Amino acid sequence: MTSSPPRLELLGVSRTYAPGRPEEVRALNRIDLSIGAGSFVSVEGPSGCGKTTLLNLLGLLDVPTVGEVRWDGRPLPNRRESERAALRLERVGFIFQRFYLVPTMTARENVELPLRAARRPAAERCERADELLREVGLTERRDAFPHELSGGEEQRVAIARSMANRPGLLLADEPTGELDSTNTESILDLLTRAHRDRHLTVVLVTHNPKVAARAQRHLTMRDGRIVGDATDPIGA
Amino acid sequence: MKLVRRWRALRHRRIQSALAIAAIATAVVLPVVLLSVGGGVAQHEIHALEHSGYQVTVSAPGLHGVQAAHPLASRIDAIPNVASASPVLSAALDSFPGRGGSSPVLAEGVIPAAFSATEGPEELGLFPRPLPFSDPGDLRFFANGTYQGPPVLEAMVSSPFADAYGVKVGDLLTLAPSANATLGQRFTVVGLFGTPASALGPIAAFAVLLPLSELQQMTGVGAGTPGSSIDGADTIQVALAGAASTDAGAIRSVAQSIAQIVPYYGVGALTDQAAQLRASAAVLTGFYLALSSVGLVVGLVFLALVLLRRVESERRVIGVQRALGVPRRQIAAAWLRSSAVLGGSGALGGVVGGIVLVAALARWGQGAVAVAAGLAVFDPITLGELVLGVLALGSLTSLLATRAALRLPIAEALR
Repeated sequence: MTSSPPRLELLGVSRTYAPGRPEEVRALNRIDLSIGAGSFVSVEGPSGCGKTTLLNLLGLLDVPTVGEVRWDGRPLPNRRESERAALRLERVGFIFQRFYLVPTMTARENVELPLRAARRPAAERCERADELLREVGLTERRDAFPHELSGGEEQRVAIARSMANRPGLLLADEPTGELDSTNTESILDLLTRAHRDRHLTVVLVTHNPKVAARAQRHLTMRDGRIVGDATDPIGA
Repeated sequence: MKLVRRWRALRHRRIQSALAIAAIATAVVLPVVLLSVGGGVAQHEIHALEHSGYQVTVSAPGLHGVQAAHPLASRIDAIPNVASASPVLSAALDSFPGRGGSSPVLAEGVIPAAFSATEGPEELGLFPRPLPFSDPGDLRFFANGTYQGPPVLEAMVSSPFADAYGVKVGDLLTLAPSANATLGQRFTVVGLFGTPASALGPIAAFAVLLPLSELQQMTGVGAGTPGSSIDGADTIQVALAGAASTDAGAIRSVAQSIAQIVPYYGVGALTDQAAQLRASAAVLTGFYLALSSVGLVVGLVFLALVLLRRVESERRVIGVQRALGVPRRQIAAAWLRSSAVLGGSGALGGVVGGIVLVAALARWGQGAVAVAAGLAVFDPITLGELVLGVLALGSLTSLLATRAALRLPIAEALR
């Protein structure tokens, strides 16, 4: 069963790298943001504006230097990596620009990875991985290794992997950044369908306005701040 | 399935994996060779001591230090539980086998009957029994405590010597205390005997066996003034009778009785010597392990470096695993498995390599090396402990890699 999509809130969040040193970088600067449960949000902006840092904080890959991240009104544990890892495993799916499949595992084994981490029984893992690979159209390629797959196929495996534990939140960092237009459309269709059918909260970071157009709400960032926040009247 | 994945992971970094396995294997070869050869030689020597035909030895300091050997042997023979006391004198002689030129030989002077009675199981196959001397008690020449009787002039020669010089039973062989044949005496060859293998090569491949008194006379250790001959020998080997020969208490009791007769001589029980040799072998084993530990440490440091390098090269995979929420213990277990696979493969490779190396030394090595390698003993328990030790130390090295993997900032790893 899919975990419930969380309502995300950032309260006065800043993230500074190497604080107090000459090379100090303030990636996020006092951000206040609320993302409703089940919404589809795009984050746009130039390179280095803090998009990925924002995504990392929302997905508990990083902790803010100042401020608080809340899920469903509850503050998230900043200190304990094990608690954050458990939450990521159960409730968050990640899709990366460079796919990041494990090269020594087949497509099916890559999809099974989060299920294995969650200690699901072998039969359940197999069944779930096959089901997800079928959904992304890769049943025939399940025993292929990443180096035997095209970029589009790799990203579809990565999407299947992100869905393995039925997360409520899907975070995608430039998921079509390395794909051609045909594969881009295919991947966006999968994400849109996942959002629609599974009622996920989806946050999508992109440079590409065409990709961002699939979202219902559009955030624009610059210099670590959110400078634009628009919602489609109809939605994607 | 898990094994297939492990193998694929290894193959993925095949050069690193091969180098790590080779480093561990090389480090393991040394202790395998040292322990198997050293242990084998020690076992062989202990076995030889424990299966000698005699159980007590009497010796004295200095060259041919035991004096009045014949009467002393008779007195020892009279001690309860003693089956036979055999004085033995060893000396280097020159032989003149008849083709011109001379050859040095090791001469052993014995009382033939006493010598036969103190033969151990290994010597039984080497010497005919009884020895084919016409005066088994060495009483004819050494009559009444003097060297006035008619000399027997009989000798046995070793098979290698006989083969080398074409000497046969019935031939005459000149033996002399120096390279001057005119000082020698002509002995009739009455028999041949074999030479035992040893860790140090065949003992006295060129050897002759003579009546004790005639060797004493020839080498000057029996030629004192009449009535005060020194009757020298190097040692007296004492065999106990029946069950007493395997009873440590009886052996010590006989040794004490002999010590009362000759308190200024060294009297040693072979069981004690075997125990001392065993203790020495244990110390030597510890030394071998200490010596080998240097190589093992180098191998394990290399393994640690390979694992750390792998953390660096797989930082994205580790980053993804951690981003997906794979628990720390699962990541740690994966690195532990990697270390175990590399360390275990290296250790097993080292064991196999060590066995092959020892076999090659035994087959193609030279002299004492080949003989020592031929005596090697591969104790499965010791080898198993070695492999387990490598695995245990390898798992410690994996802690470094695990620590590095778990401290990798996820966001940075995914950049």
